[in-house]
Amino acid sequence: MNTVRALVLTGYGLNCDNETAYALRLAGFDAHRVHINALIHGSVNLSDFQMMVFGGGFSWGDDHGGGVIQAVRMKTNLGDKILEFIDAGNLIIGICNGFQTLVNLGLLPGFDHDYTRRSVALTFNDCGNFRNDWVTLKVIPESFCIFTHGIDRLELPVRHGEGKFYADPPTIRRLIDDQQVVLRYAMPDGRPADGKFPFNPNGSLYDIAGICDPSGRIFGLMPHPEAFNHWTNHPDWTRIKENNKRRQAKTESDPTVGIQLFKNAVEYIRNGSIK
Amino acid sequence: MAYRLEIALKSELFDAEGNGIRQKAKNYFGIDLVSVRCIYTVTIDADLSEDQLRTIQTEIFTNPVTQVSSFDPLDLEFDWTIWVGYRPGVRDNPGSTAVEAVEDILGITFGPGQAIYTSKRYCLKGNGLTEEDMDKIAAELLANDIIQQWKIFPADKWNPAQGTGIIIPKVILDHMPTVSTISVDSDSGLKKISDERGLALNPADIPFIRSYFLDAEVKASRASVDLSDPTDIELEYISQARSDHCNHNTFRGLFRYLDLETGETEVVDNLFKTCIETPTLTLKDKNPWVVSVLWDNAGVGRFDSNHYYVITGETHNSPSNMEAYGGAITGIVGVYRDPLGTGKGSKLVMGSYGYCVGPRDYNGALKPRLHPRRLLDGVIEGVRDGGNKSGIPTTFGQVLFHPGYMGKCLVFVTALGIMPAFIGEEPSETKKTSPGELIIMCGGRVGKDGIHGVTASSETFSEHTPAGHVQIGDPYTQKKMHDFLLEARDQGLIKFITDNGGGGLSSSVGESARFSNGCEVQLEKVPLKYQGLDQWEIWVSESQERMTVAVDPAHLERFMELYTGKLHITYNGRTCAYIDMDFLTSGFPQWEFDAQWQTPERRGLYEPVLKEPRDYETLLKNLLSRPNICSKEWIVRQYDHEVQGSSVIKPLVGADRDVNSDAVVIRPVIDSKKGLVFSQALLPAYSAIDAYHMTSCTIDEAVRRLLAVGASFDHIGGVDNFCWPSIQFHPQDNPDGKFKAAQLVRSCRALRDICLAYAIPLLSGKDSMYVDGHLTGPYGETHKVSALETLQFSATSVIDDVAKCVTMDGKMPGDLVYILGITRNELGGSEYYEHLGYVGRNVPHVFPEEFTDLYRALGHAIDKEQVASVHGIYRGGLGVHLAMVAMGGNLGITVDLGLVPSDPLDRNDIILFSESAGRFIVTIDTENRKIFEEIFKGLPCACIGSVTHESEFIIKGIHGMPLINIPVQELKDAWKKPFGDLI
Repeated sequence: MNTVRALVLTGYGLNCDNETAYALRLAGFDAHRVHINALIHGSVNLSDFQMMVFGGGFSWGDDHGGGVIQAVRMKTNLGDKILEFIDAGNLIIGICNGFQTLVNLGLLPGFDHDYTRRSVALTFNDCGNFRNDWVTLKVIPESFCIFTHGIDRLELPVRHGEGKFYADPPTIRRLIDDQQVVLRYAMPDGRPADGKFPFNPNGSLYDIAGICDPSGRIFGLMPHPEAFNHWTNHPDWTRIKENNKRRQAKTESDPTVGIQLFKNAVEYIRNGSIK
Repeated sequence: MAYRLEIALKSELFDAEGNGIRQKAKNYFGIDLVSVRCIYTVTIDADLSEDQLRTIQTEIFTNPVTQVSSFDPLDLEFDWTIWVGYRPGVRDNPGSTAVEAVEDILGITFGPGQAIYTSKRYCLKGNGLTEEDMDKIAAELLANDIIQQWKIFPADKWNPAQGTGIIIPKVILDHMPTVSTISVDSDSGLKKISDERGLALNPADIPFIRSYFLDAEVKASRASVDLSDPTDIELEYISQARSDHCNHNTFRGLFRYLDLETGETEVVDNLFKTCIETPTLTLKDKNPWVVSVLWDNAGVGRFDSNHYYVITGETHNSPSNMEAYGGAITGIVGVYRDPLGTGKGSKLVMGSYGYCVGPRDYNGALKPRLHPRRLLDGVIEGVRDGGNKSGIPTTFGQVLFHPGYMGKCLVFVTALGIMPAFIGEEPSETKKTSPGELIIMCGGRVGKDGIHGVTASSETFSEHTPAGHVQIGDPYTQKKMHDFLLEARDQGLIKFITDNGGGGLSSSVGESARFSNGCEVQLEKVPLKYQGLDQWEIWVSESQERMTVAVDPAHLERFMELYTGKLHITYNGRTCAYIDMDFLTSGFPQWEFDAQWQTPERRGLYEPVLKEPRDYETLLKNLLSRPNICSKEWIVRQYDHEVQGSSVIKPLVGADRDVNSDAVVIRPVIDSKKGLVFSQALLPAYSAIDAYHMTSCTIDEAVRRLLAVGASFDHIGGVDNFCWPSIQFHPQDNPDGKFKAAQLVRSCRALRDICLAYAIPLLSGKDSMYVDGHLTGPYGETHKVSALETLQFSATSVIDDVAKCVTMDGKMPGDLVYILGITRNELGGSEYYEHLGYVGRNVPHVFPEEFTDLYRALGHAIDKEQVASVHGIYRGGLGVHLAMVAMGGNLGITVDLGLVPSDPLDRNDIILFSESAGRFIVTIDTENRKIFEEIFKGLPCACIGSVTHESEFIIKGIHGMPLINIPVQELKDAWKKPFGDLI
């Protein structure tokens, strides 16, 4: 089968690149960790890849807002190349710090195919602190995001201090109406968290945890799918395992739903669509 | 020209930081603020055009969706406004990333002296706020005068056009670097200079140092490089290398131990050799998994056939005690350089923390520099930013409150790394420098910061301690260096690597050069933050985020003349230091201590006269609410414990993911099913009775924590971190010094005994003495406050298949509850006694030969997957830890104390709250009963009840009477109450 190549950015304080590349490989990608400078100086070419990953971390220490300086660097040095990459029908995913970077670049929400305008923001958690916890996420059924295809609900860890999704009311309205909202923080039973802490861990408006662009090919989310790369990453795994043992049921094994998000991407790139 | 940009959240956005300040002002000082809004200020000290300023304002510093900004003061409402900025020379991380961004977007380069500085302005509203209120909020909440300056403006004195004015905290040292020589014609003269310069030279060392510089041969060879008397840089080098922190003079000292009870005397020559080095080397010979110990920056153990794991633990007490945030972040970022500088370098995979501070709600008369509550907030945040921004999971931690830590707090930081067994053909754990190699310093720049940090931490804290050594770590810079060095390692470029920590270049280059037996250092090549540093300052500065590396030079022969046996430092070609490499190892006088042991009996300790309580329900709830027992989830959740995607057993487990796990497990090699297990223990309360048993119980607890999650008993490595009050006797200043010295000797003996019994090599370890402080009292008098003798023990092991790991939470209704191990009458130093205001005398003992079989059996049961949950019984005893198992599963538990394996005991409180070592609570599926009991045949193991559907926690007393019957949720509420509303 033809290989599907993904580029995972590294350097300048990014720190999830190893496990992200690992998770992508599990999903079937030929994943490469590429230093931001290698891309800027042209020793690596974006056009040799089908997916670009803005991963988690603290790019430039997050000193002037999460993802802000990374976005500036990218825009100044690679702006056009990234736009070409999008026009060529490729995929982009931004996770946590990567999501913050995408919204600061303007790649999201990408209203009216304008991939340069900042119209939404990820700002300081209402709880006033960095928070590491697992959350339940509800996938909006109408969403045409290619990554979440066939998934109804999932659990993933959040690990951020600036994850509150914020925009003015008309913008939020439009995201909802245009079905660009992909993931919402939810109660364990799948109902919307309705802003309730800690289910909605940061005070995001409309419980928004992830959005995509109008094409569904650019996806940003605060939670970390790559951190659920093995079934023992799940906080309840010892309970689930014991439960299954009693029911003589086999304990679920890989791939996890975290990997499934990336498998969808592989399938989309291979078939140009998703079944 | 300088410009000041003020940035704030749009008024419709909730200001979380401001709200946090509002709450703290209320909770800490009872000051009612209506609102607090924060303004971020960026001061640009560079010539930029209008357009350039607009560009960076809109593209970098202002988010159009959430923020407003202006080069004039922002017009936010306030009754008072407080501006807080750094003092000159203090590390301003956002300032330097701002420069990076501005240079990139404008395509310019900042010239020398041009810079960007960040600061904050807080807009406070409230009724009847006074200037005193503002001073308090500024000095005790918003800023620390050691690193920060502030200005307070009332609304009516505010000039809306000028605002705060433009403040530029630029370092200007109008100073020509000079090397000065120091006369050594008399001991008293040198002692005087040592005191003046804060060299902290040991009086006993002074004659020896003089004799070296007065030696005819030495004089002749020094003359050949135009040196006579020692230079300041040479004495600084000696001072750093001889400091207790670097040289461990206390542990290598000579102890005259006298047991006043038996009259037994013993001379212990070098605690390090006899109790740490010798046992560890013996164990290393027997255990091939022990790869490298006792010489490098960290210890090395085998993880699997292709990988080694690396571990070390440090403390950063003195700096944290002065500036909690800066001290703690510098500590965690600093300890992360140790594995990076071990062997040819290892990747960081995990970190942990331990904080010992005064009571969070202290309201007594003593005045510590920082209130324990504020100090704790600061260290929590420092380790949070240091760990999270390094991309290293902080997976484990402990917090302990005790008034003894008000003199000096303890901040433990531990780091684990992983490295391939081989770099190309070469073993990764070995390294050496050879003549001809180049010494390279990489990472951050050098400034005045951190000068005399090492010597300061080798002294008792007082108001005279120089604040100069307090600084702020920069995880961002270090993360870049970390990624770069691992690249260089994998390309085989690194011959030798070590970190620049305490002592700066002085110790890192000093160490490196011992292998090559000599070095030449060109000091003018060191990159500086600003000009004007003296040579000796460049040499000893502890500016962070630096490593020292040795690499092959392009032209080897050019450097061959280096092989001189000298440490040779030049500055612009002129020699400023020239010392024999072997000088420091050439028989400096050994430190000596008198140690006098008085048994607890002799010290008048006895068991309290105490009759059984009646209300066990309230008692249990109150114990669960005690600061050292209760939930501290708010700290755990601030730490990223899942980055790197390797998390298997997390710090918090159970149905609600809110109860503390016994230990943590990660997959450091992400595509392998093998796990690395880690735990720590801290039991200083037992030192009030006998530091021998404090030590043995601490080690036993750390070991049981590992076993509880399924770790192998045959692969345990240890790290000892001693934190001790001064042990040098002085009739006025340290009258009980001889006793504290005896406690140290006993502690080391226990370390030796238990580690040998459990076959635990000490992969790494550190000691931090002088955990004392002098606090001012209500009448201006000062009190010496000393910490309990404290040992933090860290333990690691492996598990072949992480899928076999177990957690502590009760899993299924109907499961049987077993107790492993014997409960004894050992309430001495217990949480229960402490709660009732007693110490007691029956401190718990460890019986390794008895425990070992039980531990192996448990390992067998877990490996055969016969258990549903395992939890050790630790501080608080059986009652508290049965509650933990129930709270973990959100399930009821019904047990009968009469069935608990124990010495003949006729009291419920003893069985419930004794802290006897060697015990576990295990729950199992009834199906497994036969096999499980078979495994524990002939060992102390009994079924005492079961896990239940009902949500009640039910305990039947030894004579059958009901003791406790209470909803599990009520226990959990009590356990969460003290810190429950902190986030």
